[in-house]
Amino acid sequence: MEINKKLEEEVLSIELVGRLDTTTAPELETELKSSLEGVKELVIDLKDLDYISSAGLRVLLFAQKTMNNQGTMKVTNAKPEIMEVFEITGFTDILTIE
Amino acid sequence: MNSTFENNVLTIYPEGNIDTTNAEEVGKEFEEIRAAHPEGAVVLDMDNLKYISSAGLRQILKFKKREKEFSIINCSSEIYEIFEITGFAEMMDVRKGYRHVSVDGCEVIGEGSNGVVYRLNPDTIIKVYKNNDALEDIKRERELAKTALVLGVNTAIPFDVVKVGDKYGSVFELLSAKSLTKLIIQDPENKEKYVKVFADMLKEIHGTEVKPGILPSGKQTALGWAEWLKDYLPEETYTKLHKLIEDVPESNHMLHGDYHTSNVHYANNEAILIDMDTLATGNPIFEFASIYLAYKGYGELDHAAVEKFLKIDWDTADYVLNKLVDLYFEDKDDDYKKEVMEKARVIGYTRALRRTIKRTPDQTELIDYYKKQLIECVDKVDSLAV
Repeated sequence: MEINKKLEEEVLSIELVGRLDTTTAPELETELKSSLEGVKELVIDLKDLDYISSAGLRVLLFAQKTMNNQGTMKVTNAKPEIMEVFEITGFTDILTIE
Repeated sequence: MNSTFENNVLTIYPEGNIDTTNAEEVGKEFEEIRAAHPEGAVVLDMDNLKYISSAGLRQILKFKKREKEFSIINCSSEIYEIFEITGFAEMMDVRKGYRHVSVDGCEVIGEGSNGVVYRLNPDTIIKVYKNNDALEDIKRERELAKTALVLGVNTAIPFDVVKVGDKYGSVFELLSAKSLTKLIIQDPENKEKYVKVFADMLKEIHGTEVKPGILPSGKQTALGWAEWLKDYLPEETYTKLHKLIEDVPESNHMLHGDYHTSNVHYANNEAILIDMDTLATGNPIFEFASIYLAYKGYGELDHAAVEKFLKIDWDTADYVLNKLVDLYFEDKDDDYKKEVMEKARVIGYTRALRRTIKRTPDQTELIDYYKKQLIECVDKVDSLAV
């Protein structure tokens, strides 16, 4: 998986490319833990994300909980397969999806 | 093509591929089957359909136009997508079926009385149920887990209900964490820390508000237990017990219902709750009643009953129970904590007495014991809410 980060003032945009699964999720979690400080708005762009497993969902949950305390978070451009996972797991009610 | 006609519903089972090579023929078959049973609704069950081309879709449209009640069920994701892209899903009632999953070669990681748990892939598990009648229970547990997750309670992420051969399965996130029970056994020096995690998670659950009507009321369940015991208790005890429970105010705060250290997993400073099928709402005392039973009440005459269930020894169980109350009510004094335990015993013994009479009526010693304890406890307290 590829993680592309862009920080503009207090807005952090993260683009995920490939598969967010049990092997790549820890990488994203480490990345988030080290870069969320002071961030007011987190945008996670999933247009090139092909697959998400439960480990990946758990990292998004972590990000959402962190951002609940310091600002906002949204998830954008999810492919239909990813949206389906969000729907069956209830994540459509947890995340802000655009 | 197979078909059945039951309860005034004609169900037709298309199979394989429907494309230009056979669409006409399939259309004719639809007509013939319908002609033999011209009444009632029509259902196309797509469980065995692998592919449908536009020629096939045209036959379905033709069929649908002649019918008043027409629906399509059990579509695979691929078939459903075809109906969606072509706009058919908006023109008619089209429903997805359960995803088919194979557990061939999957590692078995647990086996219980109602099913087998397999590791489906590195981070998901599937519980395959032995009993096909369990579908409603499976769906219910999944919905409860989803409700809790959406409300912010950290629980194993619930995926979908699937079919495994002719059985049903439920897919959940695989937790890499260990249960608090295991951690307490392996690392007894840090047991206080683990009970703290246990207490914090309980506070989080009890602090979560649930919309009315989604979960059963803990109070109503307890009232049911008490009422069941009417003829087994002295009138005075029964009347007071009933009033004590009746007087507990209803609450929309969440209760877990089966809260013990094996149902809380912990790793990386994060606690995750599992087994959500007993969720309810109500005053925390109803939770403490069931915790009291699990850690003490069920083992008061025979410690092995608690040890076998919790897989920890009697003294450790006692420690966990007392420490939990201590930490949960950390801002209260010792008298208050003692009172909580008394109140928990009232509801706990009510449940245990009913359960023992119902399940093992020949255990007269245990029945007499619970009855005696219940009568004494009811006499001592004058309210139950905490």
